[in-house]
Amino acid sequence: MEEKIINRENLNKLCRDIIDGGNILIAPGKTEYTVIKDTSEIILDAGSKPTKASYKNYAFPKAEPVIYYKKDKNDIELIDIDIKGKKTVILGAKPCDSNSFDILSKVFNWDYKDDFFNMRVKNFIVIGMMCEFADKYCFCTSVGLSPVSEKGSDIFLIPLDENNFAVRIITDKGKEFMESYGKYLTEGNPEKAKAKTEAGKSSAKMPEKVFNSEEVRKWLGKNFEHPFWDGIGDVCLSCAQCAFVCPVCHCFDIVDEDYSYEEGRRMKNWDGCQFGHFTLHASGHNPRDIQGKRYRQRINHKFKYYVDKFGEILCTGCGRCSRGCPVSIDIKEIVSDTVKN
Amino acid sequence: MDELRNHVKEMLANGTVAAVIGYKEAGSPMRTKPVIITAPEEAILLVFNEYCLNNLAVYLTKARVKNLARVNGTIKKLGIVAKPCDVHAVIALIQESQLKREDVYIISFNCNGVVKDYGETLTGETIASKCLHCDARQPLYHDKVFGELKDLPASPDEELAKIKSFDDMTSQERFEYFKNEFDKCIKCYACRAACPMCYCTQCITDKTIPRWVESSAHGRGNFSWNLIRAFHLSARCVGCGECERACPMDIPLSLINRKMLEVAKNDFAYLSGRNLETPTLVGSFDVKDKEEFIL
Amino acid sequence: MTEEKWEPKVVAFVCNWCTYTGADLAGTSRLKYPANMKMIRVMCSGGIDPVFIIKAFERGADGVLISGCHPGDCHYNAGNFHARRRWTMFHQLLEYLGIDKNRLQFSWVSASEGKKFVDVVSKVVNDVRELGPFKGYKELNSEFTAVVNGLKQEVNKAEAVNG
Ligand code: SF4
Ligand code: SF4
Ligand code: SF4
Ligand code: SF4
Ligand code: SF4
Repeated sequence: MEEKIINRENLNKLCRDIIDGGNILIAPGKTEYTVIKDTSEIILDAGSKPTKASYKNYAFPKAEPVIYYKKDKNDIELIDIDIKGKKTVILGAKPCDSNSFDILSKVFNWDYKDDFFNMRVKNFIVIGMMCEFADKYCFCTSVGLSPVSEKGSDIFLIPLDENNFAVRIITDKGKEFMESYGKYLTEGNPEKAKAKTEAGKSSAKMPEKVFNSEEVRKWLGKNFEHPFWDGIGDVCLSCAQCAFVCPVCHCFDIVDEDYSYEEGRRMKNWDGCQFGHFTLHASGHNPRDIQGKRYRQRINHKFKYYVDKFGEILCTGCGRCSRGCPVSIDIKEIVSDTVKN
Repeated sequence: MDELRNHVKEMLANGTVAAVIGYKEAGSPMRTKPVIITAPEEAILLVFNEYCLNNLAVYLTKARVKNLARVNGTIKKLGIVAKPCDVHAVIALIQESQLKREDVYIISFNCNGVVKDYGETLTGETIASKCLHCDARQPLYHDKVFGELKDLPASPDEELAKIKSFDDMTSQERFEYFKNEFDKCIKCYACRAACPMCYCTQCITDKTIPRWVESSAHGRGNFSWNLIRAFHLSARCVGCGECERACPMDIPLSLINRKMLEVAKNDFAYLSGRNLETPTLVGSFDVKDKEEFIL
Repeated sequence: MTEEKWEPKVVAFVCNWCTYTGADLAGTSRLKYPANMKMIRVMCSGGIDPVFIIKAFERGADGVLISGCHPGDCHYNAGNFHARRRWTMFHQLLEYLGIDKNRLQFSWVSASEGKKFVDVVSKVVNDVRELGPFKGYKELNSEFTAVVNGLKQEVNKAEAVNG
């Protein structure tokens, strides 16, 4: 692992080079991660609150065509989509976001390999940054991450002072990417960066570990039927805010959309397990007929099924779902409460 | 607060109400969340303050909540803690025959406003914009009322100014503005879920045969969805602002709802959820309704 | 498609009992009206759901006309009174969101008003012609139509080659 230093001015130049090179640059904005057109739009602040929405839509868009079709008398012609994976750089990803594509890759490459996702991820460079935020909804430390976690980042920034960042090159992809920008880097001071991350780990901004995910997994295995779920379900409104802002929720729906009688396309659209219609059968039967069962699914999928199948927790502890929930349902509190029942 | 707790405790204990939908603290004194209580001893959880943002009337049409009122074959009352503006939603639901007046027990407050967002202290800057043009800080209907009216922190009504500013724009500019806002929509339907007046068991956007509103969150699907949502709430919306607050993508839904409130007010002198004796605007007509826009 | 060749597409939703019969009368009286109007007959103006109008715009209409019986003449007594309230709200909503009010127009045309029908249709078509193609709604989906149009050209080329 290499370590260098970059100052803000050079970082700006580097960003300008990325944009001028015809690549896409994405950085946290007010509501969501936005595409940066001018470097003056970049606010790089380790203490900023996580955006309301994650950046998963840059690899797994909220709505995307997967195939076009055209009907001609008796024939149907199918036209493949040409997925153009453009080089995309995410600057300033929080550790609770940077890991998301690694987690998502598991499910998108399990039996069927999702080219749409893979093509885009292949062209991604994730520049993560140490986080100095943490509010009461954060719980990255309970799911095996932390504000200084480099997991998922190709390059990791550590703010050293107002003006300078330590640059850690984590992956080969990151190394290759940085090669052409060597002129903006100066020699690093690994001692200083290490001191900074160590200080971060013991600072008040480090979310407290509130549950043991293995205990939670075991509890979930034994308590499928538990009145605990009904109490949550009665308050939850069955929207999909929580799923749609989550960096690792990945359900989608396939629908055909016609443009005329002859032409149309097949769409892959985000879907969410909290919708009542999500599990509704054509017969009218709904196996998850009440909200309690749907909320149970949400927690089980994240903290049991995904762990059993892929060895990863389907949650990065970012706390987005709780911050945005219209009825203030706090997933951190619920998961910690499971084992107390 | 003690008054509220004691009253609810008494009403639950003497069997006047089967359950009470209220607010409890959510992790901090500056955030609350809905709570549904059925046992008198749980009344101690209840709070009422400027952080009670939810419009709890949304629960009155939920099957499992309604079921709580069915006790041993008789239908009992459901208690609800409602700000005066939330009372409008309860009244509108009664007007639309979703429940009967005698099915609800309304516990309200003389209201001194709420904040825009949790965790802020109530000032002229942080006060919710709906409070700035509130016409009923004392509940129009209630079974019990608490609290004393104080002056609201003053602040300019920026929302109305924004709506007025659209008058000077060309249609194209307005189209552009709303298109860009709607583009952000991710079709999470939190706006629908949070709305007390969105109680349809099957929303038009979920209908697939035929597919009226495209389910995809692309430009066209989003425009159609937001247009239909706004229309279905026209003259029914009570202006509680819950949809906008629930929207994770910060789409200014209130700008549209508020405009439609103004339309109903100007053209029909109608305000939703204010009067139990009158039919709803869209459920009735007057042969003398104006029609100068019709050729 | 060049601008000169562009012809407005207008969809009319008309009620069976008055406007449709009025249009019929215009036809039998050999009155001419612009051919840009695609008429869709519904039983009552009260049954014209605003989603029909949105769908028309989605599918490429440049303008929409809604027409029914005069107040008091509704075959079902009050359908048009209910409709009138809805339209008051709906057309103001559309206008607010940036859809020019001339793109969506309303009229009362009775079974005996063949002449009025022709006048209304001509007015609407002219208004829409002045506004030009309704690019706004169509471009909401441009990436898609671009692909399909491109495809059409490909297909046509292939057909030309294959004879
Ligand atoms: S937990 Fe909150 S955000 Fe998620 S579905 Fe329920 S109400 Fe919506
Ligand atoms: S479940 Fe909630 S806390 Fe966990 S990753 Fe998703 S949004 Fe973040
Ligand atoms: S709108 Fe009126 S009643 Fe509602 S919270 Fe504000 S001041 Fe209270
Ligand atoms: S549309 Fe929005 S403001 Fe109107 S009643 Fe529904 S949630 Fe409240
Ligand atoms: S809450 Fe916002 S993002 Fe979600 S469906 Fe409604 S408008 Fe769209």
